[in-house]
Amino acid sequence: MSDYTVVGQKVPRVDAIEKVTGAAHYGADVHPAGMLYGKIIRSKHAHANIIRIDTSEAEKLSGVRAIITQADVLSGRRVFATDKVLYLGEPLAAVAATDPDIAEEAAELVHIEYEVLPVVQDVMEAIKPSAPRLHGDATKDGPNRRGISTQLRKLARDKENDHGDEIRSLEAELEKYPDEVYYNISAESHTEAGDVEQGFADSDVVVEDTYVIPRVHQTYMEPHVSVASADSSGKVTVWASTQGPFAIRSGIAGTLGIPLTQVNVIGTTMGGGFGGRFGVIITHVPAVLLSQKTGRPVRVQMTREEEFLDGRPAPGCVIKLKTGATKDGRILARQALAFWDSGSVSGASIGSTIRVRGVYKIPNLKVDAYGVHTNKSGTAAYRAPGAPQAIFAGESQLDEIAERIGMDAVEFRLMNMREEGDAVPAGGSEPKVGYKETLQAVADAAGWWERETDENQGWGVAVGDWTNGCGPGGVYISVHEDGSVRIFHGSMDITGTDTSISQIIAEILTVPYENVTITRGDTDSAPYSTGSGGSVVTFTMGNTAKLAAEDTHRRILELASERLNTNVDNLELREGAVHIITADPPKSISLGELAAYSLSTTGGPIVGKGSFARQPSTPALAAQIAKVEVDPETGRTRVLKLIASQDVGFAINPMTVEGQIEGGVVQGYAWAMMEEMQYNESGNVNPGFVDYRVPTSADLPTVESVIVEVPAPNGPYGAKGVGEPPITPTLATMANAVRDAVGIRINELPIKPEKVVTALQRNGH
Amino acid sequence: MRSFEFFEPTTLAEASRLFAQEHAQLLAGGTDLVIGMKALTETPQSVISLQKIAGLAGITTDADGGVSIGVMTRVRDVELSEEIRNGYTALAEGAAEIGSIQIRNLATLGGNIAHASPAADTVAALLALDAQVDIASADGERSVPIHALFTGPGQTILTAGEIMTRFRLPSPASGSHYIKHKIREVMDLAFIGVAAAVDMDNGTITGARIGLAAVAPTPIRATEAEELLAGKSLTDAILAEAGEAAAAACSPISDLRCSAEHRREMVDVLTRRTVREAVARAHA
Repeated sequence: MSDYTVVGQKVPRVDAIEKVTGAAHYGADVHPAGMLYGKIIRSKHAHANIIRIDTSEAEKLSGVRAIITQADVLSGRRVFATDKVLYLGEPLAAVAATDPDIAEEAAELVHIEYEVLPVVQDVMEAIKPSAPRLHGDATKDGPNRRGISTQLRKLARDKENDHGDEIRSLEAELEKYPDEVYYNISAESHTEAGDVEQGFADSDVVVEDTYVIPRVHQTYMEPHVSVASADSSGKVTVWASTQGPFAIRSGIAGTLGIPLTQVNVIGTTMGGGFGGRFGVIITHVPAVLLSQKTGRPVRVQMTREEEFLDGRPAPGCVIKLKTGATKDGRILARQALAFWDSGSVSGASIGSTIRVRGVYKIPNLKVDAYGVHTNKSGTAAYRAPGAPQAIFAGESQLDEIAERIGMDAVEFRLMNMREEGDAVPAGGSEPKVGYKETLQAVADAAGWWERETDENQGWGVAVGDWTNGCGPGGVYISVHEDGSVRIFHGSMDITGTDTSISQIIAEILTVPYENVTITRGDTDSAPYSTGSGGSVVTFTMGNTAKLAAEDTHRRILELASERLNTNVDNLELREGAVHIITADPPKSISLGELAAYSLSTTGGPIVGKGSFARQPSTPALAAQIAKVEVDPETGRTRVLKLIASQDVGFAINPMTVEGQIEGGVVQGYAWAMMEEMQYNESGNVNPGFVDYRVPTSADLPTVESVIVEVPAPNGPYGAKGVGEPPITPTLATMANAVRDAVGIRINELPIKPEKVVTALQRNGH
Repeated sequence: MRSFEFFEPTTLAEASRLFAQEHAQLLAGGTDLVIGMKALTETPQSVISLQKIAGLAGITTDADGGVSIGVMTRVRDVELSEEIRNGYTALAEGAAEIGSIQIRNLATLGGNIAHASPAADTVAALLALDAQVDIASADGERSVPIHALFTGPGQTILTAGEIMTRFRLPSPASGSHYIKHKIREVMDLAFIGVAAAVDMDNGTITGARIGLAAVAPTPIRATEAEELLAGKSLTDAILAEAGEAAAAACSPISDLRCSAEHRREMVDVLTRRTVREAVARAHA
């Protein structure tokens, strides 16, 4: 790897200066002439029928330019609630005014008459027959663990054939198990491999527990914002703070029935996303509707409170988990039954329940997962969606098993970990992976084998796996007469991806990193690019950039061959110039000279192009160890050490990789120890940073990052996606450390002081 | 934010006259008021800044050996004052718990108290340090002990036009200490706060004062616990009794932060800890 000069180096981020000087242009910095201020009018109840929406008084307020409701959505697609609201803060209407204070005042003057309905917030209550139903009478749809309702729904959807008899017999079957019928179900997912009952029967130790993980918000620094401008021709321009401008373009076009290329989305610098910045109707669609109605640009910007009420946070869930193992430490079976709180709509990452299998050889596995409707906003992705929740349960329980059979927690994991060629429970077999190397690396770095503790101190370990996504992307490269290289693409920079792309291109074109710059196009100008989420960007855009640079490289040699009048095979591009390998005395031509020369050739300017869509990705592991000290009287936990290793394949920029690891660990720590969206019958009760706590730098020691590099065959230079894995094991790492420190296991996050004190008292402390 | 009229009077008399009007609010550091105005929970028609009135900020030594702290003294100045750190340590510790450094550079001691939050970070210390509050109005001046200032959450005995001017602290106790129960290390609200100040004579506690925050509708003194400690030397047994007495003096609520029971238990734990540390400081 030492052959590389730019990739693999800790070069400064391309956006470092604009970020620290405040020059970066965020969504709220966009201010076209004549812009109006939009405000969304929201439900004040968590569950209610809407009797009437009266906008007449608000319309009379001076400065109000438009008020819209669902009646203004000509496509008929649901943007605003009409007859029923399902959560506190659900949008009912929107106003545009000449001033934000007027918009706010107008919002208060829209009179809404509600008929308040009973509310359900707890998933375990929502599945009961007694629970209020969010979506009509779902009794018949109530799925059950035997999957009968799934079959029923499938049959009911098939209008072509008559399944009357089959349906009747299935319904009769369903009635035999009234206790297993769940209500308010939004989605379900079932996976099975081997025979879990047999596995448990063969086990010496079986542990069963229920794990409760709260709903948490991505808490990106910049709240949702969009500025929309619809012109008289029907063309719509949207400045959007989003991870995926192309997804927003198709979302807006689809929702409002506008031809795709009549929508241009300009991505503004993103103040954090973490998976939560793909929403189309949260602010973008209302802004477009208001602009269409007023003929003026309109900005819709959420407050932090609105973010909590109507963002799309990560789902909380309840996971009942059971694991069986032999006394010599082989895991034989694992079974999960999970209820994910998907809020008012479907969409929680219930499929991630499968991650309870971890990276272990588990011959018998059964996973049943349900999405459950409650009176909350919908959910969205948050950094490895669903994995931190499932892995919290899996890795907490693994420690319990290790403890019962008297094995070291690291040894137990190493012994059960899969290697290349091992079967993945319910999912093919492993490629070359670095699971054991990564866990071994963190154990060594932490001094696990010779660890020491004082009173009330303890150590915890956990691992989490994740595989980066992949998607289409395109990159253009131009080489200019001064020898500089300009990149053009349409992917949003997320935590340093533009830096990695620049490094890859600088490496291949052998130019100094500083001579490479990036221009980001909007959806009108740039080639399609997948959204910046799912740890895809360095994998996808890195591969794309590599192809584009190789294309450019070819063109450079072609030009040099023409200019130097020699065969391409005699030429070599190095240090920003093309050299004739065999020339004596040496002969070369710089990139700048070639670029200038190109302008008067038949072939024309130096332009390279790269286009890429998919290649198989390789799983990555994050392994973490924490040392904590718990105050048994106050229940407060202090982290003394946090060591995080991660198999990143190849670190294109070790500095930004470390940044990703630290960021993921901190978010995982926060989820374990303090973050929690709290709800009661009136809705979310902590919609702000006073009572929704995110940690500060004072809460954590320096996170020690350990980079492990087991190359991914299809990643650029072997790189794997690094953004998501580091959050996945931290929740369990913390719980395991607290357990080791004071002998209590907290299965319901966050590990707040009160819970620790109560658990210790139960333990006779 | 709703529109309002803004005043910057240069005399207390003028400020008092303006403040006596309906829907008027005083502006000190603005770290509570402005947030409330943005959230529309505060919609004053007039806002009266105390910024231009001379003599309301600063820490001065009084003839009786105590100190006076003007209401407009920035919390950060209270936190960093050598005089406060040495003689009134609990107050410096309470000040250091408020918000961030940026907030503490704006927020004032008077504002922290006038807001009358039962969870204010300086209030437990001011109770334990036996502060007197000087109050001015068009009708003249009066002074009340701080424990008599509060009547409920957000409520004080101040009447229309009355403005607090300074906090007077008697000569220093032998040792004092403040502990806040919280989840986050910094920038968290007090789940509860406990301050203790002790006077020591030859190993005997001759007097103790304990201030409790966020455990009742107003900040309170734990007088029974104080009486238990007076005249005793420090033992685990007497600390346990004092802790229990302080917990018994509370009437906390359960809310989204924690349960009433947890608050009461933490008063017990933190009373023992603050008193122990205050005594240790007296010996140091």
